[in-house]
Amino acid sequence: MSAQLWALAVAGAVVLVAACLEAYRSRRARRLALSSGPSGLSGHLPINGEEHAPYILYFTGDSCTVCRTHQEPALARLGDVRVDKVDAVAERALADRFHVYTLPTTVVMGADGRALHVNYGYAPAPKLERQLAEARGTTLRTATA
Amino acid sequence: MSTGTQVVDHSALKVNQTGIIATVVVAFIGGAVFRPVLVLIPLLAIVLLLGTFAPQLALFKQLYFKVLKPRGIVKPRPVQDRPEPHNFAQGLGGVFLAVASLLLIPVPFLGLALALIVAVLAFVNLAFGYCLGCQIFFQLERRGLLRA
Repeated sequence: MSAQLWALAVAGAVVLVAACLEAYRSRRARRLALSSGPSGLSGHLPINGEEHAPYILYFTGDSCTVCRTHQEPALARLGDVRVDKVDAVAERALADRFHVYTLPTTVVMGADGRALHVNYGYAPAPKLERQLAEARGTTLRTATA
Repeated sequence: MSTGTQVVDHSALKVNQTGIIATVVVAFIGGAVFRPVLVLIPLLAIVLLLGTFAPQLALFKQLYFKVLKPRGIVKPRPVQDRPEPHNFAQGLGGVFLAVASLLLIPVPFLGLALALIVAVLAFVNLAFGYCLGCQIFFQLERRGLLRA
């Protein structure tokens, strides 16, 4: 029995360390991505007439199965929201700008082209809806200020 | 980037992952009561390695295709995907379980821990769709160290 307990302790420690490293990596990447301004977003800036609408940059790639099986159905559930699909391999510079280290990655962009929320990995529809609602609130506050 | 996508039935992958988790859990708990049950770990390693190179010998996938799918117990879930990363991940799991099997005699807790980590990764894939073995495959392929 003691072998089982030791094994649980070792496996648990490995999982815990991996989870901590992943949390640190995503937090660091998110901080860096959110601190950069709207420069270098040509082609992914708000379109005329959509200045007050937040939108989503969706980083994906050929190798991303979760993108097809989970993320795209979640994005489809958002309804009338602009989603800019970006091939993270083909548009490496843009992916680097948002410190994309895993796919899918979704970035909720404010109407001014500033990143407001970055989700590394699968982001479910309710989470994206909440972030979009916050982004709309931010846009309204900015517009009325 | 080459795509080479085919249709992969993700239900077969899920059944495979469930089989891996169930076998490791049974070996882990059963081994505490009756030590010979630990033989399930080397057997699982053999099943995964055989299934990697000869899909017709992939026990859990065959269980899905021959029993679960025809009887409607598990519904098929075809997805445009590449089978190679999943096969690679399965093979990697098999290799880790083979190493775990070798460790079971001299340092049993380390062998069990390695088997548990394989089960945890299978669970992460089953529950969240994140396949670490597939990511390793893509990284190796991108660096030209591996060909599909």
